[in-house]
Amino acid sequence: MRRFFDRLTQARSGRSSHRSSEDDADARDAMADGQRPATDGGVPTGAGTGDGTGSDATPTDEAGALGRGLARLDDRFGEDFVESSPFWLPPFLLMGFFVYGAIAWNVLISLTDYEGFGNADYSQLDFEMYARAFGDPTVVQAAINTFVLLIAFTGICLVLGMLIAILVDRNVRFDNTLRTIYLLPMSLSFVVTAQFWLWMYDYNNGIVNQLLGVVNLGPYNFIGNPRLVLGAVVFALVWQFSGYAMVVYLAALRAIPSEHFEAAKVDGASIPRMYWRVIVPQLKGATISAAVVLMVFALKAFDFLYSLVGGYRPPNGADILATKMVREAYQNTNWAYGSAIAVLLFLMALGVIGPYLAHQYRNDNL
Amino acid sequence: MAQLSLDHLTKVFTDDDGSDIVAVDDVTVNIEDGEFLVLVGPSGCGKSTTLRMVAGLETVTSGDIRLGEESIADQKPQDRDIAMVFQSYALYPHMTVRENMSFGLEESTDMSDDEIHERVEDAADLLGIPELLGRKPGELSGGQRQRVALGRAIVRDPEVFLMDEPLSNLDAKLRSQMRTELQRLQEDLDTTTMYVTHDQTEAMTMGDRIAVLDAGELQQAGTPLECYHRPANRFVAGFIGEPSMNFFDATVEGDRLITDAFDYPLTEEMREAVDGANGVTLGIRPEDIEVAADDSPTGGDEFGTTVDVVEPMGNENAVYLGFDEDPTDTFVATVGGMRRIDAGERVVACFPSDAIHLFDDASGDALHNRSLADAEDAGAEPRV
Repeated sequence: MRRFFDRLTQARSGRSSHRSSEDDADARDAMADGQRPATDGGVPTGAGTGDGTGSDATPTDEAGALGRGLARLDDRFGEDFVESSPFWLPPFLLMGFFVYGAIAWNVLISLTDYEGFGNADYSQLDFEMYARAFGDPTVVQAAINTFVLLIAFTGICLVLGMLIAILVDRNVRFDNTLRTIYLLPMSLSFVVTAQFWLWMYDYNNGIVNQLLGVVNLGPYNFIGNPRLVLGAVVFALVWQFSGYAMVVYLAALRAIPSEHFEAAKVDGASIPRMYWRVIVPQLKGATISAAVVLMVFALKAFDFLYSLVGGYRPPNGADILATKMVREAYQNTNWAYGSAIAVLLFLMALGVIGPYLAHQYRNDNL
Repeated sequence: MAQLSLDHLTKVFTDDDGSDIVAVDDVTVNIEDGEFLVLVGPSGCGKSTTLRMVAGLETVTSGDIRLGEESIADQKPQDRDIAMVFQSYALYPHMTVRENMSFGLEESTDMSDDEIHERVEDAADLLGIPELLGRKPGELSGGQRQRVALGRAIVRDPEVFLMDEPLSNLDAKLRSQMRTELQRLQEDLDTTTMYVTHDQTEAMTMGDRIAVLDAGELQQAGTPLECYHRPANRFVAGFIGEPSMNFFDATVEGDRLITDAFDYPLTEEMREAVDGANGVTLGIRPEDIEVAADDSPTGGDEFGTTVDVVEPMGNENAVYLGFDEDPTDTFVATVGGMRRIDAGERVVACFPSDAIHLFDDASGDALHNRSLADAEDAGAEPRV
């Protein structure tokens, strides 16, 4: 063990000298032959040289080939590529297999005609299922519903969250209590939210209709009416998640130095103008990250709809791709068709995440 | 252009537990049209609070702020014709320099875009930053940001500039450079300026007048040299000047001052000044102490001392001296930088009687200030 650390420090110093050295190709070769393999953890046999004294000596070629290969990997993928592999390789493989492997398999199944019992037949691959999906009005409607849910839910959550965050940030009374009250629904499970919004939306006794009755409106059949149900679902989800948007915005607002508010005031801006021109633009980062998380929640609204009705068939007018996909696959055993819908949903999710990842990558945050 | 007057200005903060904290206590000071007034004092003395009240960022507890003849104490910040430069610059990070500088004009005036454009260009030229107009604050160095922050105030062409330690985030060299530049700029623009700093070099060099604050109270307002040579009280004497004035607690006995370490003979003039005072403090500035390298004090105002520590500054040496009678009680004197002086050396320190300040122990007020034989206002009656 001691020897290992000795070599490690040696390799380190060797590397730092290599950084400053003009002639770095030579230095790199020397390292590759002499010291580098010793640091590569899992290859003790190849590490014959590099014991204390030999740091500057021309290396003998015992471990040459392996060492050179590893050094080349390091050169190609960045420093410490090989040394760090014990840490990133296992999760990399697990993720690769269970997430990306599963996605790939799903795509493969969607190209077959697999349905009912038995095994998939991979000999004939075509896009028949996709054609069927695009021609299926229920899928198109589900896609539209998903999209509407995504946009409406995210948009309303962001606007509401920002307004509440600004109020809380301006030290309205009881701001801490308010903050807790708004954030609390976030800790509830979808199942709970769905159940009690089901009660609240109840046609006869629900509190929403009772309240609307006070101002001589309704009663409305929020769940049964296909024109209202999507709005009702969005409202319930907004209730649950606007607190999250608030917390993200609040953190961003608190990070803006108070001098910016003061400078804007002294510059002559009214309070709405100050927020609009100075503060809100500085919340761009918070908006992006909150929006991505909220959109992902919107795509996961399956849980909510599932527990709303206790089954795969959501109320008319609230069918989204996720429920449609599960219904096709597990109720109707149309495995290939379900997979095709899943791929469409995946592409939608990618459409949400992709730009964000690209943005982060451009800003060197990835 | 207008005169800015603070009239018995007071600010009281109420703490969470209900106790009151007086941050600014009955400050009255007039800033003439075009004058550069520096508010100076140690941290927490209320100087920034005073400035923020003038800016409208803090409410006024009592007293009044007048700009010209008009009271602005109850106006919103956006209605007061002022521009402020913040310590952290407070540039809007998402806007370019041009947008930062235009913002105030867009919000507070109904100028056309062309006029604003022109004003911004002019201000940028004045500050030598026209090439930065398209950049964002994040791409600028500290000194450049400083200029942009100044530019943002200048384009507004306000009645009053308020500056809250605008140079404190710069490194020493840039700070002294910006100091002269800011002074020149203020002279050119001839705008009434209120400048807050804790740095007494800035206070001494930049201000037409300085106002020294301590614990929320105005200690003295006067020209820098007045505050230096004729401090109103012990606080001002100790705060202005680097290294600061030496103080010795003393009691008056007949025509002598008795301290722990030495006796000092009083002149006739001083005796009158200290008449009736019980305990007094003797003050003398380090540069007024004459240090002679011989070993035989003649008595009177000369004392035998031993050099404790020498701090060479290059242009001068700060020498810490201990009295023979009480070597632990050291005081500081400055001597020329070329003079060779070593720790442990025995020297004679002379406190010339015309350089002595005397302060009342109880009130801290100056009883007697040094005589300014060659200054214009020489021969003025010592302030009592």
